[in-house]
Amino acid sequence: MRKLYIVLAAVAMVGVGAVGYSVASGGGSAVSEPIAIEGLDDLERLVELAQGVTKGDESASVTIIEFGDFQCPGCQAFALQVKPQLELAYVESGRAKFVYYDWPIIAAHPNAFLAARASRCAADQGKYWEYHDNLYRNQARWAPLTSPASTYVDYAETLGLDDGSFASCLNSDQHAALITANMELGNQLRVSGTPTILVEQGGSARIVPSTFDGISSYIETLLAEGAGGA
Amino acid sequence: MTYLQATAQALEAPSGAVSEPSVNRMAISVLSLIGFFVALYLWAHNAGLTGPIQCGVGDCATVQSSEYARIGPVPVSAIGVAGYVALLALALVGLQPAHRDSRMIGGLLLAGAALGVGFSAYLTYLEAMVIRAWCQYCVASAIIITLTFIATLPEIARLRAGR
Repeated sequence: MRKLYIVLAAVAMVGVGAVGYSVASGGGSAVSEPIAIEGLDDLERLVELAQGVTKGDESASVTIIEFGDFQCPGCQAFALQVKPQLELAYVESGRAKFVYYDWPIIAAHPNAFLAARASRCAADQGKYWEYHDNLYRNQARWAPLTSPASTYVDYAETLGLDDGSFASCLNSDQHAALITANMELGNQLRVSGTPTILVEQGGSARIVPSTFDGISSYIETLLAEGAGGA
Repeated sequence: MTYLQATAQALEAPSGAVSEPSVNRMAISVLSLIGFFVALYLWAHNAGLTGPIQCGVGDCATVQSSEYARIGPVPVSAIGVAGYVALLALALVGLQPAHRDSRMIGGLLLAGAALGVGFSAYLTYLEAMVIRAWCQYCVASAIIITLTFIATLPEIARLRAGR
């Protein structure tokens, strides 16, 4: 029996050491809430900081803007059902471009800010839209988690990203300022819920219903006016 | 061995004699402890404590981020931790002098390991046929619980001898 206890003690030491090392080296401090940023009341600085992510031809005259929250079910429906239709009808043909801004409703969706940061960490490795779609597709799985960070890293690995770099980005404060600025920009534009869709052309933007019909009818009007004026 | 032979053998044993600790229960305790740490690492990862999962072989991230990594709100790894702790505790108790011949502990070890093998087989099926990705830790745990189950097979003889 003494030999057994020695063997068990040796296994326990190795096990505690291995698991302990993994926990000690992998935790980090992922920022999951907005941070304090100076100068956001300056509109120029705000616009400079609050960068959205664009899909489509940058020179397209019409811009479809979404303020979204990765943990919002309505945004999930928009991302998986409406956005693909818009891309097919307008973005792929170059008639419009799509820009996504983050507006996580952290009071109701505690994982949304970190999810937004995770998507920007994926953007650093050139796979923003794949990660964006993956987050929305798997929303039901990660939304209830108390600590979703490792799940976000797993998603990055499944998409072929460098999980070490991704985890370093996520377990830090990277992109926290950007997401915070996105939220403030939405506040300035009177965004009050998600998804909020704006259609912009020539510096003039209007909030439209987040349905395909609601968005496309206004886009068609703008495009017709543009063609008529040409 | 017949009932009479077994009874005679028991009567022949000097009073107060304690049987030797069974090798199979020692093996179960060691295997269960190893399995416990494998499951514990996965549980820590699922809890967001470890950062990227260290995966030399296979596609651990795909398996661990799939819907099958949880049963409701409970990570499968947590079920593994609980299962291995139970087997370890039973094996260690079953090695103590007062319980070395315990048929109840033998039965519980056999049943527990059988349950573990069955659950592990289901998870392996999911990896192979549904998720279509392998997690080295899940495979390791499947091997460990299978070896543990094999180590509990001598308990059948102990259960039969007691009849």
